[in-house]
Amino acid sequence: MLIFVADADVSWEFSDLIEAIYSAPTYHLVFEGCLILFIVGLLFQHSFLPSKRRGGSGDRLSKAEEDQLIAEWQPEPLVSGDPADEALLASYQRCATSQVGRSVTYSDGRTLVNFATGNFLDFIGEARIRDRALASLRHYGVGSCGPRGFYGTMDVHLHLEEQLAKFYGCEEAVLYSYGFSTIASAIPSYAKRHDIIFADERCCFAIQQGLEASRSKIIRFRHNDTAHLEELLQRQAEHDRRNPKKARVTRKFIVVEGLYVNCGDICPLGELVKLKYKYKVRLFVEESASLGTLGATGRGICEEAGVSVQDVDLIAAGIENALATQGGFVVGTKYVVDHQRLSGLGYCFSASLPPMLAAAASEALTMVDEMRGERTARLKSVSDRLHQRLLAELDNLWSVEGAPMSPIKHLRLHRCTGENSLPALEAACAAAADAGLLLTVARYVAQDLGQPAQPSIRLSVNCNHSDSEIGSLLDFLKSYATGLAKK
Amino acid sequence: LAAMQVGTAHSDPNPNHVYFNSRGIWATYVIFIFITHFIVLSIPFISMALAWTLTCQIHNVITYFWLHWEKGAPFEPLDQGESRTLTHWEQLDDGVQFTANKKFLLVVPIVIFLLTTFYTRYDQIHFLVNALSLVLLAIVPKLPQLYRVRIFGINKW
Repeated sequence: MLIFVADADVSWEFSDLIEAIYSAPTYHLVFEGCLILFIVGLLFQHSFLPSKRRGGSGDRLSKAEEDQLIAEWQPEPLVSGDPADEALLASYQRCATSQVGRSVTYSDGRTLVNFATGNFLDFIGEARIRDRALASLRHYGVGSCGPRGFYGTMDVHLHLEEQLAKFYGCEEAVLYSYGFSTIASAIPSYAKRHDIIFADERCCFAIQQGLEASRSKIIRFRHNDTAHLEELLQRQAEHDRRNPKKARVTRKFIVVEGLYVNCGDICPLGELVKLKYKYKVRLFVEESASLGTLGATGRGICEEAGVSVQDVDLIAAGIENALATQGGFVVGTKYVVDHQRLSGLGYCFSASLPPMLAAAASEALTMVDEMRGERTARLKSVSDRLHQRLLAELDNLWSVEGAPMSPIKHLRLHRCTGENSLPALEAACAAAADAGLLLTVARYVAQDLGQPAQPSIRLSVNCNHSDSEIGSLLDFLKSYATGLAKK
Repeated sequence: LAAMQVGTAHSDPNPNHVYFNSRGIWATYVIFIFITHFIVLSIPFISMALAWTLTCQIHNVITYFWLHWEKGAPFEPLDQGESRTLTHWEQLDDGVQFTANKKFLLVVPIVIFLLTTFYTRYDQIHFLVNALSLVLLAIVPKLPQLYRVRIFGINKW
């Protein structure tokens, strides 16, 4: 037994060590022989990729399956020939020759009252914003020609971010160059594989793309149903109790919209915040449609619901509706929002917002601030008046979905009038154009992952829509549906 | 250099896949082992045999923790959380088995073991200790049969 302390008796000369090999025990030499054979065998092994590498269920096909699929494949025609597409294609022939503001003039000379686009605060055509944008254009040129990390950051971007943070009363804001990719980048930068996201089933397509990109487990709860959400959270909490180690590394999120574009109603933010604290879940709110339209001063759903903005972990919004420019932002605490400067893929890997548009957004935001909610209040009252008149006058002809004060409403043909199909609604919109109104059908991508909604006409109210314009809308809807019902 | 491309636009989502292909990494690894061995040898009162056994054990334990225990990456990779539950060995070379790097990392502990048994004059106790740590800590976790396997769910999350 060789002892720890250096011993004079034991020789460490090299020749003695070599001699020791001859007196080594057999098992030892056998073991070493096996190891050497192992090394030699290893050198002749080919490298290969295990088929379950991605942790999936072995989704590789065998050669026979591949051949069968190839033999069965039939090419689809490039153009589908779906009659629903014809109405959509026809709308591309229609060219606007004016700004798409509260009214639009088309190349055929008609001027239509716009109930289709989200120009809620009527900032399109606002002289102050236009002048500021033109001045910015002369100063900076048109595009920024680079992402925020590579020479694409200008003082207007930083100024707009500061202004947005101050507007919401949050610590920091991050500016994106496209409203759709704002929430679609924000969600996957925090939620990864093995995380859990509880999402409302009627979320907009941008949120669905973000959910899919996150690779997390998505659990959908019934639209605006906090009881159902609580049930799902409870179930998850029990699951976590059984597997605490996994629960410790699993992040959980709730994703909702402030004002749902696909439904026109408002989320119950107060109850969601209570659930958030009870079950320790992060809350993400998407406010594209509620910026400028909800709250006493237009500060969105938090102001409307009386919830402190510190209780919401992340507010993401596109500024393409009320603020009438292009882009989006995410606002929240510095700890949360700063993460996106390296992980928000739409922030890092897209060119930054053109400085002209950032200046326009900044001016629009200043106007919203200065007005102290005057246009927001007017928008709410116009929407409410429209809603009451829709309910009163079009009772058995059209059904209305949406909150009374929401500027987005969805109209569907009542079953007494006829079948509520997409072609019927397209025909209604075409007839509306003849009557001097611009209406649109709510369009969804075919692979929309949420609950596919019934087809509808999506109305977008402008704060400056006059009573006569609303009157003509209602007259048209009534006469059209009555005509339809008679057939 | 493939290593620190975090946050930039490049094709590999996780630098842990490719940094072991960098120039001089193998030599660096061997030099680290030599340095450890010289430090252990410099301690005056331990014998040659104990020094070699200590080097072998320290090497096996440290490489076990580095390759087979710690999961994920020290930076934020662009793979959307895929490597969060994978050990470093499973991330190397993007999961491909028997690449040159993996063969090298399998051979080095064996070579150290052979040298150790030579220098400990084939003593029984030293052999037992070194062989156990070699097989359990260095060889078995690196076999492709144990790719993404977590025995008894240990270290799964």
